[in-house]
Amino acid sequence: MTVGYYCHWVLFEHEGVFVHSSTDAVEDQDLLISGYLRVLDKDGETVVEYKPLEDTVDPSNMLCACKDSSSVVEWTQCPSDRSHHVVDQQQQSCETEWDMVNTVSFKRKPYANGEGTSYHTHEKNCWAFSFTAADLRTVTVKTEGWTHLIFCLKDDTTLPTIHFHQGGCKEFMDCLQRCVHLTECPRDKTTFLVSCHNKTLSQSFENLLDDSNYGLVHKLKKDPYVATLGGFSKVTNYIFDAFRGPELEQREMPAEEEVAADILGEIIPGLEINQLEEPGFEVITRVDLGSRPEVQRGEPLSLADWLKYQDKEGRVRKVPELKERIFKGGLCHVVRREAWKFLLGYYTWNSTSEERKSLQRRKTDEYFRMKLQWKSVSEEQERRNSRLRDYKSLIEKDVNRTDRTNKFYEGLENPGLILLHDILMTYCMYDFDLGYVQGMSDLLSPILYVMENEVDAFWCFVNFMDEMHENFEEKMQGMRTQLIQLSTLLRLLDLAFWNYLEAQDSGYLYFCFRWLLIRFKRELHFQDVLRLWEVMWTGLPCQNFHLLVCCAILDSEKQKIMDRHYGFNEILKHINELSMKLDIEEILHKSEAICLQIKNCKDLPCSVSEILGLKAACDKSTLELSDYGILTPPLHTSGELVSNGHGQLSETSSNGYKVAFIS
Amino acid sequence: MASKSSLLKVILLGDGGVGKSSLMNRYVTNKFDTHLFHTIGVEFLNKDLEVDGHMVTMQIWDTAGQERFRSLRTPFYRGSDCCLLTFSVDDSQSFHNLGNWKKEFIYYADVKEPESFPFVVLGNKVDVTERQVSSEEAKQWCLENGNYSYYETSAKDSTNVASAFEEAVRRVLAMEERGEHLIPTDTVNLHRKPRSGASCC
Repeated sequence: MTVGYYCHWVLFEHEGVFVHSSTDAVEDQDLLISGYLRVLDKDGETVVEYKPLEDTVDPSNMLCACKDSSSVVEWTQCPSDRSHHVVDQQQQSCETEWDMVNTVSFKRKPYANGEGTSYHTHEKNCWAFSFTAADLRTVTVKTEGWTHLIFCLKDDTTLPTIHFHQGGCKEFMDCLQRCVHLTECPRDKTTFLVSCHNKTLSQSFENLLDDSNYGLVHKLKKDPYVATLGGFSKVTNYIFDAFRGPELEQREMPAEEEVAADILGEIIPGLEINQLEEPGFEVITRVDLGSRPEVQRGEPLSLADWLKYQDKEGRVRKVPELKERIFKGGLCHVVRREAWKFLLGYYTWNSTSEERKSLQRRKTDEYFRMKLQWKSVSEEQERRNSRLRDYKSLIEKDVNRTDRTNKFYEGLENPGLILLHDILMTYCMYDFDLGYVQGMSDLLSPILYVMENEVDAFWCFVNFMDEMHENFEEKMQGMRTQLIQLSTLLRLLDLAFWNYLEAQDSGYLYFCFRWLLIRFKRELHFQDVLRLWEVMWTGLPCQNFHLLVCCAILDSEKQKIMDRHYGFNEILKHINELSMKLDIEEILHKSEAICLQIKNCKDLPCSVSEILGLKAACDKSTLELSDYGILTPPLHTSGELVSNGHGQLSETSSNGYKVAFIS
Repeated sequence: MASKSSLLKVILLGDGGVGKSSLMNRYVTNKFDTHLFHTIGVEFLNKDLEVDGHMVTMQIWDTAGQERFRSLRTPFYRGSDCCLLTFSVDDSQSFHNLGNWKKEFIYYADVKEPESFPFVVLGNKVDVTERQVSSEEAKQWCLENGNYSYYETSAKDSTNVASAFEEAVRRVLAMEERGEHLIPTDTVNLHRKPRSGASCC
C-alpha cells in the first residue's frame, strides 16, 4: 500500500506530527517520532501517508522530552516491515490504561547497548505508513492539550495515533473532507465515519455501518477514561474527605509560640539562654587531627563495567565494590538512569530484572492512581481546598523558575516543565501533610532529567525526599540538626576559623542554609550536581558526607574570609556568590581527604563519631543515663578545652546527645 | 554638598513569585533574567546612590516568600530602615496578603512606631496585560493603611523600578530629619539582637 509520491499532487503536508511508541522492551520507554503527514492525489486516488523525519530527536546528545497523549492507544507493537499494524490490545503496557492522566512522556534516542548511537533511518521508516482514503473506515479526533488522530482501516487495522503537537490537525481534516465524505458517528462525536465520494465504495460504507457496534466497543476498550474514572471515584471521594482536615494556616499575627520556630533565634540565642539548665553534656577537647591524607579519585563507571556487576537474572553483585567505584568516580551518563534507581533505593540491589519489571508495573499503577486524584479535582472543589490551591499555585510558579536554562526545561510549553509540575502535584497527593515546599523542584529536576520517565522519576524522587524530608517540614528540624552538626564538625576541623565565624555572629552557619536545604543544587553546574549526588547516594565513605562537603568548601574559602575581615553580611554574600564557581572534583577530593583525616584520628569526640556514623568510635557501654534520660558520656580528662570564642557555654545536640563546649 | 554616605537597609517582602528578586536585580544590575531561580534562603545586594544630595548605600534584602521559610527570613528584618511591600498586579492573592506581610514585618523587625515606619508598596508586573488588581484598589489600600507611597512597577521593562527604590530612600531620609539616625556603614548588626521579653519562651 506504500506509495511513492514523487509525481503526485501533494494536497496537504504538515511537519511536526508525532507517533508515540514503546520500542524499548527493556525499559518500556516511550519513543516519540516526529514526521510529516501528507495527503496525496495519486491518479485520482487519495492517499494519506506518514513518514518520520530523518532527525527528529534533539540533535544534542541530551534526551529530549515531548508531549504524550492523554487518551490514546499506544503503538506498542514492535515495528515490522508492514506499512501499518494492528494494535494488539494485549500488548498495551499498563501505562496505556493511565493515558488519561499521563500528559507527557519522552522521546529519546534509543541506545544500542546503552551507548548513544544515531537513530538509523531504516528503523524510523518502520513507523511510516500510508493508505488510500478508500481503505479508511473511521478517523477519531481527540483534543486534550493538543489534537491527535486515530485512523482505523476497514480491515480493522488501527494505525499508530498521530499527534499534532505543532498544530495542523484542522487543516488536515479540512483537506481530508475535500477528498472523502465524513459523517459524525452518532454515538461518539469525536469519531467520523469515512465514505468515499467514489461509488465503488458504497459497499464498504454499508459494511462500516454494520460494524458500527463493534467499532464502539472497540473504542470503549481503548478509551480508559471512562473505566478509570469510574474505578477510582471511590478513591477520590475518600481522599477529599481527608483533605478537609486542617484549616487554612493562620497567617495572622505571629503568636508567641510561633517565635519558637525562629530557627536562628533558637539555635543560637536560645542555646545561650538555656544551656545552663541542660543536664548532661560532653566536653569537647581540642583534638589533634594529624595531616590530611592524599586521595585519588577514579574514572566514572562505564556502561560495560556497570553490566559486569549484574548476573544473568539481573541481580547486582559485589555491591560494596560497585558502590566504592561509584563513590570514587561517579557514573557515565548512560548508566545513570538505571543505576540511580538502585542508589536511591527504588530498586533493591538483589532484585532480578523480572522482579523489577513487576515492581515498575505496580508502581506505575500506584503513581497514576495518585495523579488521577489531583487531576480530577474540579474547579469548585479546588475553591474549597485552600491547601491544595496554595500548593498548586506555588508549584506552577516554581516550575517556571527551575533550571530554565537547561535544555530539558527551557522555552515555553516544554514538556519537561509539565512533567516537573505533574510529579510535584502527585507528590502532594503522596504526602499531603508536607505538600510542596520551595526547594523541592530543585531536588526533582535532576532526577527527572536523568530518568526521562514520569513514573520512575517520581519514585526516585520519593526516595530522595525520604532522606530530605526533615529539611522541609514545618519546624525544619532537619535544617537545625544539620547546621548544628556542621558546626560541630567545623569546630573540630578548624577551631580558628570557627572562632572567627563565632566572632562575626556567624557561628550557626546560616550562610550554608541553601547548600544544605537542596544539597548544593544551586551551587554547582547541573552536570556537577548529578556527579555529587550519585557520589553521596553511595553512603560512602561515612554518614553525612555532605557535611564534609560543606567543610571542604569552607576550608577553601576561610583564608579569604578571614584575610578580608568579612563580617556577617559579607560572609553571607561571599558564600552566596560562590554559586556556579565551585569545582566539583576539587571538592570531592578534599571532602574525602577530610573524612580520612577524621577517621585516622584516635581521640575523636563522640559527637563527631556519631554524626559521621563511625563505628566503635563511641563506646556506648561507658555512657550513663543521666536523671534526665540523656546519655552522658564521661568527661575527657586531658587536653585543652575548646573555646567558642565568647567565653561562654554553648551547646548543640545530635542524635539525642547533649554536647556542650566549655571555654 | 553630599553628606557622609549612610547605609540604608531596605527589605523586599511579598508572596512567592511576585518578582522581589527581579526587582532587586533590575534596580542594582539593570538586568532582567526570565530564567531566574526562585530564591532559597536570603540574599542581598548593595547599591550606591545619591538622593537629594545625600550619598546613600542601599542594602537591599531579598527573601524566600513561602510561609514555611518564615523562621529563616524574619531574623533579617531587624534593623531595616524601610520595607517594600510587594505584590503582583496579576495575582490578587498576593495583594490580599500585603496586610500579613506588613504585620509580620512590624512584629519581627521590632518596629517601635509602626504608624510612622516607612513602607512603600510596589505593584509589580504591570507589563502583564491581564490584571487582577486595579490601581484604584491598590491606592485605596495604601491610603487606608498608613498613606504609603504606591508604585506600579515592571522589573521586566524597568518601569518605575528606580523611582520606587528612590522613594524608599526619601522616606527614610524624611524620618531622619525628624530625629532618627541612619546607621553608619561600618556598624551594622542585623541579627542576634537581644530578643524582646515577649518573644522569649
